[in-house]
Amino acid sequence: MTDPAQLPRHLRRIGRVFVDESMLDSPLARRVRDRLAGTTHADIPWIAVPEGQDRVECAGRDEQALYLKEYKGRFLRFCPGTRAYHCCGYRIIHIGENCPMACSYCILQAYFQDRVLKVWANQDALFRELAEGFGADRTSRFRVGTGEFTDSLALERLTGYSRDLVGFLADYDNVVLELKSKVVDLSWMDAATRTDRVLPAWSLNAPAINQGQEFDVSTLEERLTAARTCAEAGFRVCLHFDPIIHFPGWREGYAEIIDRIFDYVRPEQIAYMSLGSFRCMPQLTPIIADNFPDAAYIYNEFVPGLDGKARLLRPLRLEQFSFMVERLRRHGMDEQLYFCMESTEVWNEVFGFAPQDFGGLNRRLMDRAFGN
Amino acid sequence: MPTTPALRTLAADEIRTGGDHLFWTADPSETLSESLRRTGQTAPVLVRDTGDGPELVAGRARLLALRALGRPVLVLMVDAPADLDAGLLYLADNAARPLDDAMRLAALRFFAPLLDRAALAADILPRLGVRPGSKDARLLDAWLDLPEPWPGHLAEGRVPLAAGEVLARLAPADREAAAPLFASLGWSRSNGVNLLTWLFEAGKMTGKPLADLLAESGMADVPALGLSPKDAMARLVALARQTRYPALSALQAEFEETARELSAGTAWRVVQPNNFETGGAELTIQVKTPAQLARAVDDLDAMAAKPGWEKLWNMGGRRD
Ligand code: SF4
Repeated sequence: MTDPAQLPRHLRRIGRVFVDESMLDSPLARRVRDRLAGTTHADIPWIAVPEGQDRVECAGRDEQALYLKEYKGRFLRFCPGTRAYHCCGYRIIHIGENCPMACSYCILQAYFQDRVLKVWANQDALFRELAEGFGADRTSRFRVGTGEFTDSLALERLTGYSRDLVGFLADYDNVVLELKSKVVDLSWMDAATRTDRVLPAWSLNAPAINQGQEFDVSTLEERLTAARTCAEAGFRVCLHFDPIIHFPGWREGYAEIIDRIFDYVRPEQIAYMSLGSFRCMPQLTPIIADNFPDAAYIYNEFVPGLDGKARLLRPLRLEQFSFMVERLRRHGMDEQLYFCMESTEVWNEVFGFAPQDFGGLNRRLMDRAFGN
Repeated sequence: MPTTPALRTLAADEIRTGGDHLFWTADPSETLSESLRRTGQTAPVLVRDTGDGPELVAGRARLLALRALGRPVLVLMVDAPADLDAGLLYLADNAARPLDDAMRLAALRFFAPLLDRAALAADILPRLGVRPGSKDARLLDAWLDLPEPWPGHLAEGRVPLAAGEVLARLAPADREAAAPLFASLGWSRSNGVNLLTWLFEAGKMTGKPLADLLAESGMADVPALGLSPKDAMARLVALARQTRYPALSALQAEFEETARELSAGTAWRVVQPNNFETGGAELTIQVKTPAQLARAVDDLDAMAAKPGWEKLWNMGGRRD
């Protein structure tokens, strides 16, 4: 039994809550206050942030802060793909920034150097913008997700944000929402009126990477169990291998996790599965070296890719992709598989075809997301 | 610290010259000796009274030159009871001296046990012409804890200051294994840093001690090959890169060999443009006259008929 007074492990370092003055009475702020009450974090300080102040600071070295903020930018965005590689064409609903967990390879370390977990508390503005974007033409289909600048479910216990989104999108059957996470929180499930319009998604990795490079996240077993729960409830799930890391023992590691998947879900219950090799902006490498001195994989053979990011040398990527795709195919995976940000060459060499052969990756994934 | 403006004349032998605060000692130049002989001493040396007799605080070269000339020494008695005071006076007295990296490091190593790191950065670095927080400040900080022979190598110009950070990250045994590569070769900034960085990173990736990497790659044997320093360093850098990037180096070597065969006898250059991220090759040539252009076209025609292009274009693809 989990103790209801205890926050999940990944939220326990939150030591204070900042709230923009204009958001003090927002439904989201009230909800966070209610959900903290009765927990070990009931008495953490709440600090109102006056308009015009643009920085808030955490106290201790390890402390994290939650910042309920009035966001003035655009909520609905395009995924920042590049032309050199095939992008999946996903749209991003921007709900906040930063993540309480710590994965050594995470790009967010380069984006956000503080430990402030920002949540956009002006949900009315977000829903207004989404209504305009999705409602203008109900025949246009959208595949959207929230996990670009944060983990979709990391703060769910406190904010209920994804549950709100699921509820809001129930009116838009032209939208499929993917909730991508490394933790397990299924409290959004009962807000879904259509199980075919929400895609719960978990990232998977080799057990050694999960244990050595991902901290404060759920175990692979917990993620797969959650995927099974969703699949049994009628949802199709997404599973993602990203980043795939080339480390000594990668073959055994990825074989093990691939085989384990199918103890929990059947291929037809998986809407899609991405494979993405570890790649990063060159500035991220020294940050990883500083934050995670044991992350030896950053010293593999990385070369500048066509988009300027550091990528594993192509033959090494091909070796891993081919191995994994072959094994996944043996388990019955086929059209669900795709590469995240890979070149036509790599597609052809591993799959024997490239996105242009089936009308583009965006269309393929849109079809799969909508179940047709 | 205030000085007591007391000028005196002392016999050179009366003054002790051994303190650690004399961190930039150098023997007197001939010009200095000659000037003291002709003109006499125009500036006093600084001396403190330790209770154990007078001790030199600054002006060692002048003192040694005057001693050699058998002349008495004009001294300014200063109030510098602590070594920190003596060091600061020494710095002030040498303010006009041109500094190099090894001198800056020697000064910092003297002050480091006497001040905390923050004070060292804020008070001492600017006196050495280094901005606190700058790249040089970071590098000097990394050098502070490096044991001999590294400061000695820096002083002799065999290792660049820029190698400080990577040297500091190497495990002591790995640093020891790398030291012979610097014993007699004077490494430039980029070669020295690349060599050490590649070895450090290869060690991290493979989990092997640097001594093993040096032995396996043949780098350990290079100093004994009797090569010129330039060739020895080029060989070492090439081997270090190969150790760090084995698959890429092998591909590049294969590509270069095939490209050489294809373009032999022509002025065409055939290169792989993007680290094998895509297949293909880039062909370039420089022409200045119509005749050269005609020749380039003929050469290209002949090259196109050679076998080997398919192999060249597909390098970097799947290794079945
Ligand atoms: S869970 Fe995702 S967003 Fe959070 S640290 Fe890990 S990779 Fe980054």
